[in-house]
Order: sequence, then structure tokens, then C-alpha cells
Amino acid sequence: MDVFIVAIWVMTLFFAIFSLIKNKSGTKEVSKKAVGMGRGMIKNLIVIILLIGLVLAYFPPTQIATFIEKQNLYIATVVSAFFGTITIIPAFIAFPLVGNLVDAQVGIVPAVAFLTTLTMVGLVTFPLEKKSFGLKFAVTRNVLSFVFAILIALIMGVLL
Amino acid sequence: MNIAKKIKSNVLVILMIIAYIITFIYKSDLVVVGLKNSLYYFKELIIIMPIVLILTALLDFWVPKKIIIKHLGKNAGIRGTFFSFMLGGISAGPIYAAFPICVLLLKKGASIRNVVIVLSSWAVIKVPMLVNEVAFLGPKFMLVRWVLTVFAILVLSYIASKLITEKDIAFESEQSTSVVFIDHTACMGCSLCTKNYPTLFEMYDNKVQVKKVHLTDINTKELNEMIEKCPTNAIHLEQ
Repeated sequence: MDVFIVAIWVMTLFFAIFSLIKNKSGTKEVSKKAVGMGRGMIKNLIVIILLIGLVLAYFPPTQIATFIEKQNLYIATVVSAFFGTITIIPAFIAFPLVGNLVDAQVGIVPAVAFLTTLTMVGLVTFPLEKKSFGLKFAVTRNVLSFVFAILIALIMGVLL
Repeated sequence: MNIAKKIKSNVLVILMIIAYIITFIYKSDLVVVGLKNSLYYFKELIIIMPIVLILTALLDFWVPKKIIIKHLGKNAGIRGTFFSFMLGGISAGPIYAAFPICVLLLKKGASIRNVVIVLSSWAVIKVPMLVNEVAFLGPKFMLVRWVLTVFAILVLSYIASKLITEKDIAFESEQSTSVVFIDHTACMGCSLCTKNYPTLFEMYDNKVQVKKVHLTDINTKELNEMIEKCPTNAIHLEQ
């Protein structure tokens, strides 16, 4: 657990206690609501997590990185952007990989494309996003994020 | 009909199970790897989701709509943009952790643009991530990417707000704020609704009562049809 998560936990508990002192019955409602929201999401989240695990089993990020390193710039960029799109990977795995990509001959563009689509575009989390915000919102946000991830990558390739 | 609906609402579960079964048959060792990989995400889920849900519920209870509209609404201007970046930037956890809180913000009057900013910055420019990035890729890489990403989010959230209207998201968010109740003086216990919509209504003491179900599971269209069909107009939907 990093410092930020601990800080947010402490802050949340502080708010919750404050809320309990100020309004006992209201806080009861709050906890009911939190549990209700959790129930609504938990099934999808478990499925998503198991799917991510399986996708990463078929395509281990380290293997993808070695594959990308051998390609030319265009294929490397497309493959890394798509791989980033399918799944979500925690930062502590993603950054060393991206670091390797940057150091390799392939260069910065695929690395950045990978990094940005990895976190911003989510095919596995799409069903949950659709359920939360509606189809149009989910499609628009993911497509735009993908396009801009590529743009960011291209511009960084020019700048650095 | 009912089975078809069940399949539809569980399509992801079925897909996941099939994927694991096929993997088990052809490459059984990958099943173990997959489950091991999932373990990290489960840990993350357990650490992040409870606080996100508690914070969302607390926010819902304590922060009035007026304040959200003022700071994150359509007319919040640059300040709204700034607050949205702050909210996403100080967050923790993967992007799906942002969904409940963003749904709430939308419901309470935050603009689509600001919600897209919160979601996007939650995903790519949060502070814990930047610290990692400097360690692995150096300050220059981080800074350039950060500036470009902030700019990209500004533009893409603007485009998104032009493409998506409030009506597009009203369908799912509206139903979770509404309450279904039965007018017991009018209900004559004909059981039409309990037969047609057993997930929501049940008979109790010769009258109908509303079951406790999670509101996102309710099909609004079907519910509205049922409200119209009720012979004594005893079903009401209140915002």
C-alpha cells in the first residue's frame, strides 16, 4: 500500500466518524447506500478481474514488450496501443516495461501509446462503464482517449 | 423469455467462464497463471473499493446539489476544470474505481465535460503514478507527457461534451435516483405486476410490495410499461 492510499483511507475514516457524530441516522443511510453500490458492482468487477488475469496469462506484458521491440515503428505503435487498450495494468508493472521499450531501438512513440491506452482506454472495463454512464458516453470516451493517446505518443516522439 | 434475459444480463460471466474452460482444456497451466494474475487486482479491489464507495455515499449525503453545480457544473468555468483535475489527480486506484463517484457527480449536476476530466485524469495523471514515472523514465519524460496529457484531456473532454448530451446518460443515471412505490389504498392485489415483473414486485398480505433490488438492475422501459398497465394506477415512480 502506498502513502496515497493510506492517506485516503485515513481521510475517509475521519469523514465517516465526523459524519457519525453529526448525524447518526443519516450515516446509517450512507453505509447502506455504500453497501448497495458495492453489491451492484461486485459481480462485474470480479468477472473483469478474472478476465484481465486470463488476458495477461495469454499475453504476458514482458513478452509483448519483447515482441514490440523487434517491430518497426508503425507496427510497434499499433500493437502497443491495442494491447494497452485491451487490458489495464498497474503502474508498477507498466513503468519498468515502458522504460525498457524506451531504451530499446523502437523508441518513445510505442512506449507512450502503450502507457496512455493502458490506463485510459479499457476494453475489459467497458461493460461496467456502459452500465454506469450509458453506451454513448462509454464509446465516445474510449474512442477519443484512444485517438488522443496516439496523438500524445506521436508528439512526444517529435519532442523527445 | 426470462432465460434470454438472464443470459443477456450475465453475458460477461458466461464469457469469462467459457474462456477459462477453453483455456483449461487446451492450456491448463495458463488457468493457474490467470488466477495468479487476478490476485493482484483482487487485492487492489479490496483496498480501493470500500473507501471509494464510502466516500461516494458520504459525498451524496453531505454535499448538496447546489455546491456540485456551482463548482463542477456547466457554468463553473475554469474553476470547474481545475477542481475536476484536482479530484482525478489526487485519486488512487484504477479507472473503474472512479465510476461510482462520477455517476454521483453527474446526478448531482456536474457537467459531462468535468466528469470526463475527472475520469481521464484519474486514469493517467494521478500523483502516485507520476512519482513512479519519474523513477523509471526520468523527470523530462514525465513532465512532457504530463503537459501533453493535460492538454489532450482538455480537448477531448470538450469534444466529448459536444458529442454526448445529458439525455444519453439520463437513462441509467435517472433510474437510480427514482423510487418505486405502491399506493396500497389503490392496489387491489390483481398480481398483474408480480407476474409480469417478478424481479421487482412481490405479493404480501394480498397487496403488492416492492422488492429491494439494486436499482441499476431495473429495466426502466419495462417498468414504465408496467406502471401504465396497472389497472388501478397504483404503481408510482418518484424522482
